[in-house]
Amino acid sequence: MQRLLFELRNRLHAPSRNPRTAVVFGRLLAIAFLLCFGTGIYSHFIQEPLPWMSFATRPIWLYQVTQGVHIVAGILCFPLIFAKLYAVYPELFKTPPITGFANFLERASIALFVASSLVQITIGLLNTYQWYALFPFPFRQTHFALSFVIIGSLAIHIAVKLPIIAKYWRKKDNYEPEPELEPDQFVPAAGELQPIHGITGKVFNWIDSSPEAQKPQASRRGFFVIFGLASAALVTLTAGQSFKVFDATNVFGPRKNGIGPNALPINRTAKKADVVDKASSPDWRLTVINGTAAMTYSLAELNAMPQYEVELPIACVEGWSQMATWKGPRLRDLIDSVDGEAIGTVKATSLEEGSLYAISEMGPEFARDELTLVALEVNGETLDLDHGYPARLIAPARPGVLQTKWLSSLEVLA
Amino acid sequence: MKITRVILIAFGVALLIVGALVLLATVEPTNYLGIAIWFLGALIIHDGILGPVVFGVSVVMRKSSRRIPFGVLLIIQGALVIGALFTAIVVPEILKQGIGTANPTLLPLEYGRNLVVFYVALAVVTAAAIAVYIGMRRRKQQHHPA
Repeated sequence: MQRLLFELRNRLHAPSRNPRTAVVFGRLLAIAFLLCFGTGIYSHFIQEPLPWMSFATRPIWLYQVTQGVHIVAGILCFPLIFAKLYAVYPELFKTPPITGFANFLERASIALFVASSLVQITIGLLNTYQWYALFPFPFRQTHFALSFVIIGSLAIHIAVKLPIIAKYWRKKDNYEPEPELEPDQFVPAAGELQPIHGITGKVFNWIDSSPEAQKPQASRRGFFVIFGLASAALVTLTAGQSFKVFDATNVFGPRKNGIGPNALPINRTAKKADVVDKASSPDWRLTVINGTAAMTYSLAELNAMPQYEVELPIACVEGWSQMATWKGPRLRDLIDSVDGEAIGTVKATSLEEGSLYAISEMGPEFARDELTLVALEVNGETLDLDHGYPARLIAPARPGVLQTKWLSSLEVLA
Repeated sequence: MKITRVILIAFGVALLIVGALVLLATVEPTNYLGIAIWFLGALIIHDGILGPVVFGVSVVMRKSSRRIPFGVLLIIQGALVIGALFTAIVVPEILKQGIGTANPTLLPLEYGRNLVVFYVALAVVTAAAIAVYIGMRRRKQQHHPA
């Protein structure tokens, strides 16, 4: 068996699989992981802020870009992780598999790293298709917890491989002479290397009777070119759901700009939220509350207030986003009507009941912003029922799930 | 280097603990088995299935290198890799679309047709690249006859 693993490992030795390639792809993968982690943490805390937290409201496309980057970098992790694993592929057949306790820890940490990374990018991708039935665990909590496991494993992995990383960091330091495989514990002495007989021997002889790749440089360069083309194709054909420049070539994105009511995609329909009757009722009122002071507005009264038109993106946590033109009264004008100027944190309640997103809170940085509206119109039309008719929140640099639809009340919190 | 390594490992272990605590605090214990199955499944699919398949393809490629020029093999390999990658990403999308989505703005495109078009385009580009490569190779051989 040991001999078999040794032979396998040597058969797999190819010019494109060397420490330099592993370092190059390792670096790119680390950057992608850190981008996903940073943007993911940002998205997490903007949805569940700690009491002292305050967020930037400009540029207005901030969240659109952080979450777009999160999804694009996440998709790029697929070619990156496979390229990286391909570059270190022979290590899988290292013999003996474990040489001691430290080595056991190292290999176990790599198994954890590989498994958690593969699970993370897979459930992330499936989440953009909303195919939750496939995993028997909650997406958001698991995705969040695994992100720490991955970055922790990454730090340990870098520490373990630091000598190799340092040695092959710069291009001029490597390739020549051709780096050797990290030696196995099991190295047959010259005389001992008898031909293997039987089927195994025949298979290896059959493989060996072909010439080796003659041009190591072409092979390495080819590997990088293939990776580059794959990544460019992935971005070009999917990133249009998040970035307008790729909209024309968006053929595989799970969302498409312009498709949906009011020419805008949606996540939760009025029917799903069970608000169709209440939202279309002429008796609908928006209540604005500050302690004991309260005001009620009918749709006509909201329409009679000073109207503002703003260009703001709707940017979903799932990564898709689209710019739209919104129109309606400013949130702060409504808050001021109940003397809520000084306080500023606002709790918005939807007609929708019992859902995680039926209630949202926004800090004063968003509530006082001149671009934050109680929108009544989008893209020149009355809000569609599925976009939150009769009224919804829209604020700059904020995830779509917090832009509460089918508003029922706004409450200034002490 | 030693200090850097110690700091990195300490930082990494701390984050692993944070991850474990977050998992324990936010995910119900009844879900742990599902997560463990996914982890094992990832390793089995990667090490047990993808690994040997890639090895098999490498062997076939190497066997073919006697009759087919190396550059051509490289181009074919590249096309196979890109095709496989898109298959892995788009096929789940097609399957989910078939099952049905929460609303018509989710997965609104004709992904099946687009994937077929993509395969055809990939095949055409691959064939063109091979033709260009063989042409260049022949010209080179004419200029520098062996």
